[in-house]
Amino acid sequence: MKKHISAKTKWLIVVAVLLAGLVTITAAVNRGRPGESLVQTALTPFRSAASAIVRQVERYYDYVFRYESLQAENEELKRKIIIMEENVRSADSLQRENERLHQLLGLMEEHEDWVPTDAYIISWVDSSWKSAFTIGKGTKSGIQVGMVAVTEYGQVVGQVTEAGPNWATVTTVLDSTLGISATVASTGYNGVVEGALATGSQGLLRMNYLPTDSVLRNNDQVLTTGSTVYPRGLIIGYITDADFDQTGVAKYALLKPAADLDNLEQVYIITDYENQ
Amino acid sequence: MFKYFHLTKMQWQGILKWSLYGLLTLLVLLLQTVVLAKLPIWGARLTPLPALIVCVCVREGPEKGGVYAILAALLWCLSGADFGNLSVAVIPVGAILSAVLCRAVLTLRFLPTALCAFGVSLLNACVIFAFKLILPPTVPLIVNPPTVALENLWRVLLPGEILSMVFMPIHYVLVKRIGRIGVRDAL
Repeated sequence: MKKHISAKTKWLIVVAVLLAGLVTITAAVNRGRPGESLVQTALTPFRSAASAIVRQVERYYDYVFRYESLQAENEELKRKIIIMEENVRSADSLQRENERLHQLLGLMEEHEDWVPTDAYIISWVDSSWKSAFTIGKGTKSGIQVGMVAVTEYGQVVGQVTEAGPNWATVTTVLDSTLGISATVASTGYNGVVEGALATGSQGLLRMNYLPTDSVLRNNDQVLTTGSTVYPRGLIIGYITDADFDQTGVAKYALLKPAADLDNLEQVYIITDYENQ
Repeated sequence: MFKYFHLTKMQWQGILKWSLYGLLTLLVLLLQTVVLAKLPIWGARLTPLPALIVCVCVREGPEKGGVYAILAALLWCLSGADFGNLSVAVIPVGAILSAVLCRAVLTLRFLPTALCAFGVSLLNACVIFAFKLILPPTVPLIVNPPTVALENLWRVLLPGEILSMVFMPIHYVLVKRIGRIGVRDAL
């Protein structure tokens, strides 16, 4: 087979390897791949057009095929709201729990200091080991690296990790690279929430470094504690399971993300807020 | 002035052929990042692009196809692919070796091309997976034991790569059609 590999072919193999090395080194030095901004900027109109078509198709599909399931979901949500209202009325509700419901119902109204910028999702990262998406707005709209993406209900979606003139990459909370300082709303236990993609718990979050004596209940709400990156009181998720970690000196909890990341179309980037 | 830009019929056909390959690459990239990446199946996101690159490279030969493979892999990398810089080396090298292998030992028919495409796609995914294990971002290794890694390997990676091959017949037919442009005139 060796005779079938011409000198030009060998050169191409060398060029491919060298190019990969060059991209890796320059990406490490510049904290971004060279030319990525250019390619992403050029691809954004195509992605925007494609995602707009996909959205229309999805809406049509939902209208035709998912009307009954949406109606059932609506009934279920109504039932949940009634239960939640009963909880609010009950005397043993803690003040934190009350705040939690307030945030759930009108978070955006409460935080008048937030300056949100809406953006549509135009593409998703195609790796099974990373959870991120690209939005169709970037630095021209005031979006910068490090800003937080939320839903209209104040649920954390992720953080802007790259930004170009008309695009930005948002790494979601499911990704293992993000760490968010968080607190359990009903009890006040603090910990760090990380994506559990790398730990075999796909679609879930993991709240680490909880005290060993902490008492955690299913469906307890987990909120951001507030930092220079994340405003205080954003909803991260709900506890679904808890156990001791492998070291035995701390507990961890698995959370279901509050934001429905599978069905996101539009996100809000908080471009400015008062850090309290 | 236009006489300097005069192109023969074969050259025009060459431009048309490579433009169509480029358009097909762009469409598959959009399909991969806009539609398929949004719909993970059993946690795996389907990536039909590596298979297309191998398909074109096998069809066009290791030299012209190799240049295409490098450019297409670079486009994928710069479009924001996770660990795309590894793919810049793995996919073109795999595609070039596939083209050589198919021409020297196998044939240019569907099955050898599909097998090579699956091999290259799987190799690319495995290399990225291995680097993800070596370079864990923030989750400490202690919560990511080898058993979980192995489980991810057979539960997510392998089904994802097998399912990505669903697009192979479409790739093959389209690439074969595009590859025929200008062949009659050359004969």
